[in-house]
Amino acid sequence: MKKKKKNILFAYGWAAPSLLLILLIVIFPIIYTGYISLTNMNVYHWNNYDIIGLDNYKDALFVLDNGFIKAFGMTVLWTVVSMVLQLVLAFIIANLLNIKKLRLRNVYKTLLIFPWAMPGYVSILLWKTGMFNSQFGLLNQWMEKLGFSSVKWLNTNFLAFCCCTVVNLWLALPFMITIIDGALQSIDKSYYESALLDGASWFERTVYITIPMIRQIIAPSVVITVFTTFKQFDVIYLLTQQVGAKTGADIHTIMTYAYEKAFITNNYGYSSAISVIIFLILIAFSIVTNLKPKEEGAV
Amino acid sequence: MKKNVKENIGLVFANIFFIVICFLTLVPILYAFSVSLNSNNSLLSSDFSFIPRHVTFQNYLAVFTEEPILLWLKNSLILAVVTLVLSLSTGIPAAYVFSRKRFPGRKPILRILILLYAFPSLLSMTALYKLLSPMGLINTKLGLIIVYTGTEAVFALWNMKGYFDTIPVEIEEAAMIDGASPLQIVMRIVMPLAKPTIAVTAMMVLIYVWNEYIFAINFMTGTDTYTLAGGLYSLQATEMSGSWPIFAAASIIVSIPILIVFFALQKNMAAGLTSGGVKG
Repeated sequence: MKKKKKNILFAYGWAAPSLLLILLIVIFPIIYTGYISLTNMNVYHWNNYDIIGLDNYKDALFVLDNGFIKAFGMTVLWTVVSMVLQLVLAFIIANLLNIKKLRLRNVYKTLLIFPWAMPGYVSILLWKTGMFNSQFGLLNQWMEKLGFSSVKWLNTNFLAFCCCTVVNLWLALPFMITIIDGALQSIDKSYYESALLDGASWFERTVYITIPMIRQIIAPSVVITVFTTFKQFDVIYLLTQQVGAKTGADIHTIMTYAYEKAFITNNYGYSSAISVIIFLILIAFSIVTNLKPKEEGAV
Repeated sequence: MKKNVKENIGLVFANIFFIVICFLTLVPILYAFSVSLNSNNSLLSSDFSFIPRHVTFQNYLAVFTEEPILLWLKNSLILAVVTLVLSLSTGIPAAYVFSRKRFPGRKPILRILILLYAFPSLLSMTALYKLLSPMGLINTKLGLIIVYTGTEAVFALWNMKGYFDTIPVEIEEAAMIDGASPLQIVMRIVMPLAKPTIAVTAMMVLIYVWNEYIFAINFMTGTDTYTLAGGLYSLQATEMSGSWPIFAAASIIVSIPILIVFFALQKNMAAGLTSGGVKG
């Protein structure tokens, strides 16, 4: 009995520094965010704010004009479009990488993985200036060469959404290709051999062997990617909404929306309410999917 | 015979497909690279080519002489090292007991940690600002260190615990019977076995600090306090007056260390993807 107590004390003693750190720097600010969300704190009421109860939540959830519901819809659309494209493209590319006699496979793999290795924000900024910029962006140079007039890629909602999706795909595909490629290689080749003997077409083999076999393996990584896509902030913020360099497109996901409400329009109370709502959505999502983190993939 | 021909044609098409895809993937990087090597005046001409006609290192030189990049590098390194030391020195013992010991409260704490891992620290930025500013920690390195350490402490704990779970306990039990103290066990047995995960975790922390820009630009306001990420951000934010070739050169410089680390650790990462941190 005494030994058990000692054991518990020992465990907490060793874990204490880390847990205290997390408690103070992570949990306490989250709780404090919850508290701010109940106040009218903004740039005029930075210190003399009042508690106004759940008004901020009401504003976010029931006043459509405030834009949170719209941003939420956009986030769902963004996540669905990105995930579908990612899965389909990564599946095709990974399959082609596994063609039997493809000699340069490893060269292609290394080159395709490059976007993953680059620092994310650097890549996004390079896309913004190098590709989409209306003066010296490469896309417009190509357009001009082909005889079209130049396009302001990031200035209208639809085009900007497409551009953001492309950049996000560019960033995220290497991870997905790696995962699916690994899953494909783990399938026992004898399944295909017997299917070939039975005369199954490529399509049939894919639908009846490949997809069912890899589904379990890639599921955790897909769930994590859904998470990161849902939480994606950098792509949309850096491409279209930088302070002093807004491009005119008005696409908001809930993350950029929360950021804008806090640091651009300085409505801290309202923004904190948005943060709490997003956190609740993430909690619900992780309970539904029973998420266990696989950290090293989330570069 | 016919089957062979068909297969070869397929291979040719697959190779063409991959060459095109690889090129398209690398276009933004290649373009930036070639712009960074180009002399300024040949840039806006419409017949731009990927191979610069007048190769010059003038832009790279300008990054070091005209921009305070070495100062930013110093700031980033200080932040990274302190964050690293704090999150590893607290994380390793915690990860060890969460992996090895069973004690009341363990499961709930682990569950909470998963949720915290899903929580983007961006969302508590207002609260952090409000808490740090009366302490005078805004615009100081210590403020950013606090923010970064919090985020990375959760990550370090989870990541290393996952790896410790895969190290067999038997060796430690044998050492315990021989009368080794827990500290000796960790220092002499666990740490050497856990080198790969400590390396990967350390690298992840470094990369995180290297790449983090949003807290850096909101919590730091003077160019001399910028981190690399914040500095690079400021180089492009003044794009109207700023120079695209210099920004391109700076981007390449900032990316190179990360690229080296990534490709050096690629094998470990792949292993981490398949085995790391899955057991609750």
